[in-house]
Amino acid sequence: MNTDSVIKAANLKKKFKGFELSIPELEIPKGFATALIGENGAGKTTLLNLLTGIRLDFKGEISYFDNREKISAGKVQERIGYTGPNSFFLPNWTVSQVEEISELLFENFHKDRFEKLCEELSIPFKVTKNVKDLSDGNRMKLMLATAFARDTELLILDEPASPLDPLMRDKLCDMIREYLDQGNGSRSVFFSTHNIADMENVTDYAIILEHGNIVEQGFVEELKEKYVVVKGEAEDAGAAGKVLFTIHKGSYGFEGICLSEKLDQLAGMDVSVETPTLSQISVAVMKVHTSLQ
Amino acid sequence: MKLLQNSGVPIYQQIADQLRAEILGGKLKEGDYLPSIRGLAKDLKISVITTMKAYEQLEAEGLVTAVQGKGFYINAQDSEMLKEQHMRRVEEALLEAIHAAKIAGMTDRELQETLAALQDEKLF
Repeated sequence: MNTDSVIKAANLKKKFKGFELSIPELEIPKGFATALIGENGAGKTTLLNLLTGIRLDFKGEISYFDNREKISAGKVQERIGYTGPNSFFLPNWTVSQVEEISELLFENFHKDRFEKLCEELSIPFKVTKNVKDLSDGNRMKLMLATAFARDTELLILDEPASPLDPLMRDKLCDMIREYLDQGNGSRSVFFSTHNIADMENVTDYAIILEHGNIVEQGFVEELKEKYVVVKGEAEDAGAAGKVLFTIHKGSYGFEGICLSEKLDQLAGMDVSVETPTLSQISVAVMKVHTSLQ
Repeated sequence: MKLLQNSGVPIYQQIADQLRAEILGGKLKEGDYLPSIRGLAKDLKISVITTMKAYEQLEAEGLVTAVQGKGFYINAQDSEMLKEQHMRRVEEALLEAIHAAKIAGMTDRELQETLAALQDEKLF
């Protein structure tokens, strides 16, 4: 599918001891929610830190929005909302101080919307509680409230779902869908997650990162056509294993993921097929590329 | 609109099927716009791309037309096309019946007799 992109990057490279993030080309589609998936240490946070301008010591080019501006250009950062894995508020701030400071920092911060979000997310607002005393979940909710209380065109969220309970994850999905709806095609979201199943119904495009490289990416509906789940009888497991992308063998049969284009190589075997979920695709792709055995 | 998560029918297909029924049934009229892609995704708690795929399917079938920046509006449904759409559904249903008959080990003749017997009952 041809779509505009909200972020375009080329020849991204960032080296650490024993690890290199290397992405020749990256495009985040505009108007959609994109998920960044990958195991711990794959480079997700590093990539997000390059894209948000938190890290500037890297090689490569990144440009933003329709005019392909640099992060340092006038209002680019003002148009991006961010939440990170660690709290970016000073530990001694109270929730009301977070509100005051956000209002000072950002022209597009709406106090009324922030207070409404705090209520919806049941953040202990108006209580003189310091940020450091909030639970991980409440601290994430507070960061999300400050990000969603601003008029932005792009949200970059690093693991927003991890500290949240299932109800709040559902709420987060609703918030992302509403954010996209209000933008009517002009707003985009890019988030990293380990909670693929919880976020699947809000993921339009998926990027799978392993060892600092993009190993698979695409619109979710296209990925679901590219791969297929295959289940079959134990006696066929050996032959099927040569065709399947990943396979799990048991004494009662086998189950695995197959590239749809290779499905006809299973002709003659008694197999059932079904459409994979994004979690199944991600796990299969990660299994093939992981260094863990 | 009712979406079943575990029915085996893809969500985009369920959306396309239900909107098609509303268009062919005249509930959605010529010139009406379908709900916005992102608005429907929000209401149904599904991803934007799933809704988009459903709309693109309806567009490929000639039921709706996409207008840049405005959304999808419903085309005039001429009777010839309506008939074709219905025939396609008949074919799909028959294919499903043939498939089920194979699983049940019925012969072609038994299947045809079943169809004839059902038609004789004049239920429709």
